[in-house]
Amino acid sequence: MSAGPTFQSFFPQASHWVEGLGATPVALFVNGPKFGYATWEVGHILSLILIGGTTIVMNIRLLGAGVTEESPQEVYRNLRFWQNVGVIGIVITGVLIGLTNAVKLYNSSAFTVKMMCLVAGVILTYGASRPVAAANGAVAMAPRIWLALGGAIFLAALWILCTTVLINVGVYHMITAMALILIAATRGRVRWIYLAGLAALVVAQFVHTHIVIKPDDYAHLDPVNKIYTALYGVWLVAIGLVSLFRGRGEVGGPPTKLLAYAAILVWVLGATARRWIAYQ
Amino acid sequence: MDALQARIEAFLFWMQHVWGKGPTPDGQSFSELLLGSLNFWTLLEGTHLIALMLFAGTIFVVDLRLLGVTFRKTRVSAISDAILPLTVFSFVFVVLTGLGLLFSKPIFYYHTIWFRFKMVFLALALINIMVFHGRVQATLGTWDADETPPTAARMSAAGSLILWTLVILTGRFIPYNVYECGKAQPAFVNWVQECKTSEKGEENMAGQRFDSQMVKQ
Repeated sequence: MSAGPTFQSFFPQASHWVEGLGATPVALFVNGPKFGYATWEVGHILSLILIGGTTIVMNIRLLGAGVTEESPQEVYRNLRFWQNVGVIGIVITGVLIGLTNAVKLYNSSAFTVKMMCLVAGVILTYGASRPVAAANGAVAMAPRIWLALGGAIFLAALWILCTTVLINVGVYHMITAMALILIAATRGRVRWIYLAGLAALVVAQFVHTHIVIKPDDYAHLDPVNKIYTALYGVWLVAIGLVSLFRGRGEVGGPPTKLLAYAAILVWVLGATARRWIAYQ
Repeated sequence: MDALQARIEAFLFWMQHVWGKGPTPDGQSFSELLLGSLNFWTLLEGTHLIALMLFAGTIFVVDLRLLGVTFRKTRVSAISDAILPLTVFSFVFVVLTGLGLLFSKPIFYYHTIWFRFKMVFLALALINIMVFHGRVQATLGTWDADETPPTAARMSAAGSLILWTLVILTGRFIPYNVYECGKAQPAFVNWVQECKTSEKGEENMAGQRFDSQMVKQ
């Protein structure tokens, strides 16, 4: 476990400039009124909610679930405006609230993860997910390239989250999100096998960390919990891979579903990192 | 009323400081253990936010359809049948994690103006849902495919959007301690938060202090 990369470690020469950001007129404007900062933060959360709602409805459709009465193209056409509002909103409010605590963010690896997710989220949403939805699930060469690029940044951000002390526990948000998406994305026997395996892991972890090992024995709990975290990851990825080739998803093949998973999870990781900035 | 207030305060005090506390003097209650936990509280709060993202995000999509803004050519029932299960599922997560957070600091939340406003807006939002399902949706068959649903449905959707936004807004304001009991506050704030019976007591703008007798007992 490491302290994780921060903007300070990438751009140490920007330190003086970052320290001055809190005194700029824009930062003073945001921090001026009694609830100024909090109000802009609410705008940030509402933008995130808009992205969350539109992204999940559009990509769940690409996975073959959700609004199946309409084609992916129709779902995309109806949601694109609100998705744009969400992305623009999150950038504007993010810059405003970021200016007021720039030094903290500059030294935060959770913020690095968040920024990587923003870049990956925009690439995966605009470069891959939306064009594929507009083409009713067909994946042309350009979305494949964007998927590879956005996916690589997303995985790098996930790696930083998993290996950085104090924020690595946030990976359980990702595990929970993926576990829930798979309930919608699988069906029939695969879904039951998936749920049985997941339940077995949850029960095994509980017994192991509450009965076999005493709950206050942190020295032994820590490695055991890490092993279970890895097991959850392996199980979810395995079922995810199975669901790429089986189950729902009549509108496209494995690449369609892969980018749909990535386009949802990247925003979940971004939201996770956002929350864990405060805890680091 | 005072007797009821005293019982509530005593119950909150027991929940926060007594329940689960062992016989040793340095033992911690369940509530204190939760708040002081290494990772669990932070996971609860993070899950609350992420579940809210899914809950409010999906409910907004349904509301926008009811307003006649999106999916105008899609039946309302097709949208709600496909999306509302996600909304309900995430709402369960929001409520469970919300109750966990409330349990970690019940006295603080009880005497926080924003938490009280949040509960009021939450209650109104739930009433709005009940009215929608009880009355407005009863006639859904006659306007299911309408590009612009009837006024009652649009009013309900607008109310939903406004109320859930207010729930989020007031929820976000809770950690900010500008109106914390024990500090000099306007009479209205002290009255709404019932600061007089809080652990930190009440102080008005003239600097006069009133401390709780009930809590001390």
